[in-house]
Amino acid sequence: MTSSLVRQALILAALALLPGVGEAIYFRHKISWQSAIPPSELVTVAQAHAWGENVIWVDARPDEEFAHDHVPGALSLNEDRWNELLPQFLAVWSPGRKIVVYCSSLSCNASREIAVRLRKEAQLPDVFVLEGGWEAWLKQNR
Amino acid sequence: MLNCRLPAHWALGVGCWALGVEAMEPLSTISYQPSAARRFPWRIVDVIVAGIFIYAGAIKTLDPVQFASDIDNYKIVPWPVSVVLAFYLPWLEIFCGFALVVRLLYRGALSISTALILTFTFATVAAKVRGLDITCGCFGHASQHWSFPAHLATNLGILAALLALWVSNRSAKPL
Repeated sequence: MTSSLVRQALILAALALLPGVGEAIYFRHKISWQSAIPPSELVTVAQAHAWGENVIWVDARPDEEFAHDHVPGALSLNEDRWNELLPQFLAVWSPGRKIVVYCSSLSCNASREIAVRLRKEAQLPDVFVLEGGWEAWLKQNR
Repeated sequence: MLNCRLPAHWALGVGCWALGVEAMEPLSTISYQPSAARRFPWRIVDVIVAGIFIYAGAIKTLDPVQFASDIDNYKIVPWPVSVVLAFYLPWLEIFCGFALVVRLLYRGALSISTALILTFTFATVAAKVRGLDITCGCFGHASQHWSFPAHLATNLGILAALLALWVSNRSAKPL
């Protein structure tokens, strides 16, 4: 009985490979195998500083963390209050300005999510994710 | 119907192998059949669980990039592995779902489905313990704002249904 169970499981696992490979081929240009964020959408603290006043900093962390401390001049825009905070952000944004989104650290995901939503839902260009997030900014500036 | 114990059907041995039916299995071990009335409630559970797996798989095949990102959020596997899983797991869920509905490769589908749910539950709890604030991505955007208890309760509910199917299937004829 155990061997038949394993056989059946192996057959199912093999069957699922076929469409999976097909889909991987179909999406090969839409996903990066190296990094969750394509290098073209990442920016370092030094690069962001070099852009000077042309940058809008977006803090994607929860409200409490933003209230505790944040990059000077940054605007809070997180998933929890997206609908409420987006209009405030759009009031500040102007064409040509670069948007740098950050969250807590290298391992957080909120900045990536907010950057995707800014591109897809708000249709904004020049949206970047800060490499290393708030931790990286702190190391360079304090 | 294929009867792997009959020499006339041994030519279909590959089919028997795939279905996991033992050709030399004594008649007494598989002759018992629960009545259709007794099996009916379990068929409903089959279909519900299968529907959940098919829906969850289908919705993730539409946006594998987002699903890869959801897997990556758990910080358990490196990004390239997340991508591979994002292309593969949804189809595995779909095939398991269909196998449960048509009762073909049934025990294999039950075992894979159970393993998947156990893995998802473990990953969810591990993420919570590590303080990760994540979206599960289990059902695409529909589950984007699920709380941890809702996420865990769903997984445990599916796991309970799968375990019940295991128990109910012990007395049924294997396919």
